[in-house]
Amino acid sequence: MRRLLGLALLILWEVLPRAGFIPSLFLPPLTETLRALVAGGGEYLRHLLLSLYAIGLSMLAACGIGIGAGLLIGSIAPVRRVVQPLASGLYAVPLVILYPLFTAWFGIGPQSKIVFASIYGLLPCFLGTVAGVQTIDRQYVTVARSMKASRWQMVSRVLLPAAIPTVLSAFRVGGALVIVGIVVAEMLTSTEGIGYLITRYRTLLESPRVSAGILVVVALVVAFDSLVRLLERRTRHWRLSTRSA
Amino acid sequence: MTSLAILEKETALKPTGAAGQTAPATGSVQVRDLEHTYDASGRTTKALEGIQLDIAPGRFVVIVGPSGCGKSSLLMMMTGLLRPSSGTILCGGRPMTEPDPDVVGVVFQEASLYPWLTAQDNVEFPLSLRRMPKAERAKRARDRLALVGLNGFEDRYPHELSGGMKQRVSIARGLVQDPPILMLDEPFAALDEQTRISMGDELLRIWERTGKTVIFVTHSLTEAAYLADEIIVMSARPGRIIDRIEVDLPRPRTYEMMSTPRFAELRERIWSQIRTQVVE
Repeated sequence: MRRLLGLALLILWEVLPRAGFIPSLFLPPLTETLRALVAGGGEYLRHLLLSLYAIGLSMLAACGIGIGAGLLIGSIAPVRRVVQPLASGLYAVPLVILYPLFTAWFGIGPQSKIVFASIYGLLPCFLGTVAGVQTIDRQYVTVARSMKASRWQMVSRVLLPAAIPTVLSAFRVGGALVIVGIVVAEMLTSTEGIGYLITRYRTLLESPRVSAGILVVVALVVAFDSLVRLLERRTRHWRLSTRSA
Repeated sequence: MTSLAILEKETALKPTGAAGQTAPATGSVQVRDLEHTYDASGRTTKALEGIQLDIAPGRFVVIVGPSGCGKSSLLMMMTGLLRPSSGTILCGGRPMTEPDPDVVGVVFQEASLYPWLTAQDNVEFPLSLRRMPKAERAKRARDRLALVGLNGFEDRYPHELSGGMKQRVSIARGLVQDPPILMLDEPFAALDEQTRISMGDELLRIWERTGKTVIFVTHSLTEAAYLADEIIVMSARPGRIIDRIEVDLPRPRTYEMMSTPRFAELRERIWSQIRTQVVE
């Protein structure tokens, strides 16, 4: 059913502009888009790799710091009570409006977008992990205490694995936002990357090349989503188990 | 059974002894003048009062009492997981101000296995916290799983095991550091009747083979009479010990004993004590 729907959309993408229902300047037909993609393949690949590099670094920072701090702060109740509402409030602020400041501080090179996307993805990672730590079965902690686990063992051997399902969903949201953050930042002010490419061709009114770029970004997001799904499948033991005997 | 027989079992089954340990702890338990009060919603509640308890090594002791009498709290204090307001607890001669898995193994009501670990890894877990070499702890865990009758299930995850099997893994985990004392907090409460009875038999078998001191909390009078050497009956809150009943049913216990007059008498005696405490 889902495949059928996808196929229908692809056919419409081809047919509607060809039949003249939509001007091909607004939506170039699928085949033309693909042709543009193949013709400019090297250029797309180069910019995609540059974007991927930035995305990789930002994800590492966003998810590493977000999940790490989330585990730590989430497990210390007094600190959590102060930090959690603050972070939630901050999350509601559309950070894009701060991007001009970032470029002022870090220049228009890759640093700006990496810092921006890191912060953009960090908050949902952090908030998701904090919430995840809260839902951990208290019994897991009691059991570990009965085995005389140290504070560090409690975090690394009990809290972290127990939080993995929620951390993964936090990663899904945070990681997606990192991708959005990088692409948007590239579209705003940048000299390279897939977002930059889309914007440049848009100003040149080269619609097929624009939609080819969009296609690449969509593929990127789909690939990320499949990766998260794969990780979720590998941790299904967590979710399948119910605590009661 | 004579105390000599118990001693023999203790020494026979004690393995070479945990490395770097000083004198190994014995299976005795002493509780002196234990009191516990706690504050909830601005009111101070007395939960336990004047608890005195002496348990000799190798005994199977069951604690029963009306719900809310603090029997589980008392057990948690003996494991070192909960601090009493006052009084002292010695397990194997050591004060239980914090949990000590070398002295007391704990089995909780809900199997509370880690769902991300296999049966084998769950049993190895306490040893891995002590940084025991992989080969040695794998062997120990396999031995314990065999002891509870779970050979062949090492690689199963908790969600692939039945309730009774999970509790067996839990018991294996509680015994993996070879503590002289095993404490169980309503371990079979969540199981169905048949599983419950066979798990009782299983626990008796393990106890007889290892010679551990077992302290077992339950609200089932049948379970108490069937398993125990001695039953400790507690009052309603504030929990006090109101009776200690020696169970003189012969060992090994069998299912048929449950329908004997002596068993009925025993149940009656416990019930008559608890009945006065139950306020509807």
